Amino acid sequence: MIDRILIKKYAYQSSLLFAACAVVLFGFAWVRVWVGTFFNLSEYAVILDQLEEFEQYSPIEFSALLTYAGQVGMVFEEPIVIACIVIWCVARGSDVVSGELGRGTLEMILSQPVSRERLMASHALVSVLGLALLCLLVWAGIALGIQTNVVDEEIPPPSIELPILNWQVSLPGSEPVVEQVPLRDRVDATVFAAATFHLFAFGFFILALATLISSMDRYRWRTVGVVVGIYVTQVVMYALGLVSETLSWMLGFTFLSCYKPQNMTALIDKGSLSAPWSLTNTPTDFAFPPLAYPLILLVIGSAFYVAAIIIFRRRDLPAPL
Amino acid sequence: MNTTQQPPGPDRQINDLARHDQKLYETALLVRCDRLGKSYGDFHALTNCSLQVRRRDVFGLLGPNGAGKTTLIRLLLGYLHPTAGTCFVDGINPEDDGVEVRRRVSYLPGEARLPRHMRGAGVLKFFAELHPSGNLQASCEIADRLELNTKTRVAFMSTGMRQKLALSVVFGPATPLLILDEPTANLDPTVRATVLELVGEAHDQGRTVMFSSHVLSEIEETCNRVAFLRGGKLAHELSLGELFQRHRITADRPAKPVQVPDELSDRVTVTEFSMHDDGPPHLRIDTAGDLAPLLSWIESLNLQRIRIEPLGLRAVYDAVHTGQEVTV
Repeated sequence: MIDRILIKKYAYQSSLLFAACAVVLFGFAWVRVWVGTFFNLSEYAVILDQLEEFEQYSPIEFSALLTYAGQVGMVFEEPIVIACIVIWCVARGSDVVSGELGRGTLEMILSQPVSRERLMASHALVSVLGLALLCLLVWAGIALGIQTNVVDEEIPPPSIELPILNWQVSLPGSEPVVEQVPLRDRVDATVFAAATFHLFAFGFFILALATLISSMDRYRWRTVGVVVGIYVTQVVMYALGLVSETLSWMLGFTFLSCYKPQNMTALIDKGSLSAPWSLTNTPTDFAFPPLAYPLILLVIGSAFYVAAIIIFRRRDLPAPL
Repeated sequence: MNTTQQPPGPDRQINDLARHDQKLYETALLVRCDRLGKSYGDFHALTNCSLQVRRRDVFGLLGPNGAGKTTLIRLLLGYLHPTAGTCFVDGINPEDDGVEVRRRVSYLPGEARLPRHMRGAGVLKFFAELHPSGNLQASCEIADRLELNTKTRVAFMSTGMRQKLALSVVFGPATPLLILDEPTANLDPTVRATVLELVGEAHDQGRTVMFSSHVLSEIEETCNRVAFLRGGKLAHELSLGELFQRHRITADRPAKPVQVPDELSDRVTVTEFSMHDDGPPHLRIDTAGDLAPLLSWIESLNLQRIRIEPLGLRAVYDAVHTGQEVTV
């Protein structure tokens, strides 16, 4: 179903973009965790208290951010991470048919005994593996950040409890002590496995959408325009759905509603490590079991891929312009 | 139980023989199109095209731009899906198994574009590995013959260099059929001659070549059969052997009207023409087949200022292009 030679070609062709995205994602995730350690959680609480009015625009409750895991998990919502994943997916997805057609190179490749399905499957394998690696690099950057950073924690001064009144009273002359604690003692990197899986599902959906549009188009610039247009529309729908109660129905029509990395981290914080992987238990505030969300993206993405193969197989291939 | 009724004794033998002959005939054909057509809405790119290419033919495809040559080739390779008729390459319908068709074909597109990020040597290696009949050594030898520097990146190659690289890719695999769409475009005269040599060598190796070109002399030099396409239709088919038996006789028009004997009427076309509006009238006699039996009739016409010349492909092309009757 796949072709080793084509895989080599596509891997080489995408290597520069992959390297650039990989450096940015790994480096950013690491640096973002490090920057997060500059503020202790009580300072975060003060900031978030001031932003209380905007909590409705947030995909999760602010209280979920007042944990080390919540703070580190914000990496998955950062625009740089999202942008890099979107760039990889749109660039690779749009290349497969309309990109090769536009460059005129599809003619020579398909003059060889290679089926259109095999060409698309080989391209998909490289793109999906690249996406998976990029997501793992985000996770690896976070893990490295957790392993190499420390956080300042304030230890309250010694106190005594007054009997009957049950009051805590600090001993005179004692001061709170600030102690440096390794971040790894507070956060376990495995907590972010579910969030990484969500990032992969999010990317897979966009990659498959770009592949579908590419399979029916002959100009790459138009494919990129259409995919970015759809993405921006979905972002706007998601934002409007969060802001306005009357427009909340829009949340049901945007794939971004299925991207819940922070919710998964919060779920682990409240429950167990396996909580985000359940297909049977539906937590409160969730419409479906947690694993259903990334699966929806993966199933729709797979359907896009099947449609792309059918369209590509049936279409006439125009001569290069 | 479903049984097929067989005709009795002699009839059955005749049917068997007919089937055997048909099979032999089909085996001798490498490419067969039956009423092949391709339409885009109201636009008919190719209509009702029935042609055959025999094994070991060097088959020329001629026609002006937009005549349907490339459409025909792209239908044979399975790039396009026909809207009418069928075609077969080595007995395989590209609609059923395009991969198996392309396993038997080496194709040079009219404007070959190659991956720009690769070097010439990388391109040769890539395509040699991709095709089961690929032969990197053969491709490299052809590149050397065409004096191509394969160390250059495709992005930095001139149009001619890219064409040489594509030719090296295409002539490498030893496939039964070679389809070349304007292979000498963008090449200098020396390299053109080398390409025609390569076509000749492919033919000597027993390969079949389909060759599309606008350069009539190249077709005359290399092909043994030619098909003319015009407006998406197969306008004429010609064996080059027959073409070499065609002549054009030009002379001043005699005073007496020229009468063509009945026995020659299917081989002779007589037309009168003038070089200028007020110029003297001339007579043009186009002949097909052996000239010897015609000589006594021509002598009887008492023509003055007579000129006899072999009729080249140009004359047939012009006649087909302008919709005139072609004698051959």
